[in-house]
Amino acid sequence: MSSLKNLSILGAGQAAVYAASEFRKHDQDSIVTIFGDENYLPYERPPLSKDFLINKKKEDEFSFFSKKYFEDQNINFINEKIETVDFKNRSLLSNDNNKFSYDKLLITTGSTNRKLTIDREIDNKIFYLRNLEEAKKIKDRASKVNKIAIIGGGFIGLEIASSLNQQNKSVSLIEISKQLMGRIIPSPIANLVKDAHEQHGNKLYINSKIKNIQKTSEGFKILLDTNDSIDAEMIIGGIGSSPTIDLFSHSDLKLENGIFTDEYCQTSIEDVYAAGDVSNFYHPLFQQNIRLESFQHAQNHGISAGKNIAGIKSEYLSVPWMWSDQFNLNLQLTGLCNDYDEIIVRGDRLENGIIYFFIKNQKIAGACGLGLMGKVGRDIRIASKLIEKNTSIDKKILSAQNEKLNALLKK
Amino acid sequence: MTGDNWIEVGKTDSIDIEDLIRFDHGDKTFCIYRIEDGFYATDGICTHEEVHLEEGLVMDDEIECPMHQGIFNIKSGKAISPPACDDLKTYPVKVENDLIYINIT
Repeated sequence: MSSLKNLSILGAGQAAVYAASEFRKHDQDSIVTIFGDENYLPYERPPLSKDFLINKKKEDEFSFFSKKYFEDQNINFINEKIETVDFKNRSLLSNDNNKFSYDKLLITTGSTNRKLTIDREIDNKIFYLRNLEEAKKIKDRASKVNKIAIIGGGFIGLEIASSLNQQNKSVSLIEISKQLMGRIIPSPIANLVKDAHEQHGNKLYINSKIKNIQKTSEGFKILLDTNDSIDAEMIIGGIGSSPTIDLFSHSDLKLENGIFTDEYCQTSIEDVYAAGDVSNFYHPLFQQNIRLESFQHAQNHGISAGKNIAGIKSEYLSVPWMWSDQFNLNLQLTGLCNDYDEIIVRGDRLENGIIYFFIKNQKIAGACGLGLMGKVGRDIRIASKLIEKNTSIDKKILSAQNEKLNALLKK
Repeated sequence: MTGDNWIEVGKTDSIDIEDLIRFDHGDKTFCIYRIEDGFYATDGICTHEEVHLEEGLVMDDEIECPMHQGIFNIKSGKAISPPACDDLKTYPVKVENDLIYINIT
């Protein structure tokens, strides 16, 4: 279908594999090569902080596709770190000094964990979680210690705190701001998550800043500005991430909170595309550029890039959606929850799910729910669909949990 | 041996159109769906991660998992949208005298 000869994909995560797979559906002839520096077939990252840490899933259980699938699809992998991208001459240079040419390039380099800078000696001993290698290190070290401190009360820190608690570890978690999971989560829901952690025995230090960390014979002593101190044998940092764009900082590629792309995944340079975490893309529904770090987005944005690169022009219109599983609770978030006229609450018990709908101009702009596993999924999904359709809604039904929301989709 | 093992699920009016109910039998759990053209049954647990599909969203002839949005075709069990990639097992369903039965042989 397309006259493309050689598609190179830089980065081997979720966006990369779904882009390659989608591209192949429309173009069986072009060469497709994914460049990655991990020694694994591309895998799902969500289990790393959850099922992998609690020994419910093994590493070979969360590959996206089998080796045979990639062979059958004629999708190549090159396990080399790319150090230079020459947009002008359309080539990539690896740290082994190998040069690879491309006709079209898709950048899916994802994001990189922010690191704490406290003291050089201590900084090197802090664990982070982004990839399987790091998850293995955390799991191995956690198996040998009891007292673990987690710095950062975002999704990743809380998920690790939940998993390590389930491994009977004594977990302390420190969050600098006034509530868990940042401002996008309604504070009542953040508080319910906090309660769940505390009921399971995790110690949470919220609105607490680290003054310093001292080395002790046991490991570390963390001193907070509240004058609390925490003894820990292991420290894990989960303080957010930033788009992986170092390779392009001296190039002509337009960077602005990641790689600036349009609704077709196209960057400012012809035949160069970006998808997933690294891309700050234009969203036609919200009429602004947004950058998302989520499983669903990496997948769907990858699929969109694959289509567009194959010559099937299609706007990316997927409504943002993400989830977090902690203990027996499932939190889900859809749309944008930071710009609204009114909030409507549905439900008041975790057993049936509690959802906050954010209403703007009589329409749902976003929704955030928490409940026992599976309890908020359907209604959050219905909210996503209503956001996508941009339909005005009957607000009364949103707060009536005894009435199903399915009827709203049929209007 | 006919291989038939028809089990009564409940009344037809216990399920709205474009909806589903959970049905447990022995140590197995199922989803029973009602869509425009009839009743269907699949395994209850999503093939991606261990979560029951009873809280999922039925749209036309598809069921979407409430946890991670994998989508399956209700009639064939086929996984049609990632992250689901393994198909759901389906079971024959019949309706007699306003009662739904599934064959779990």
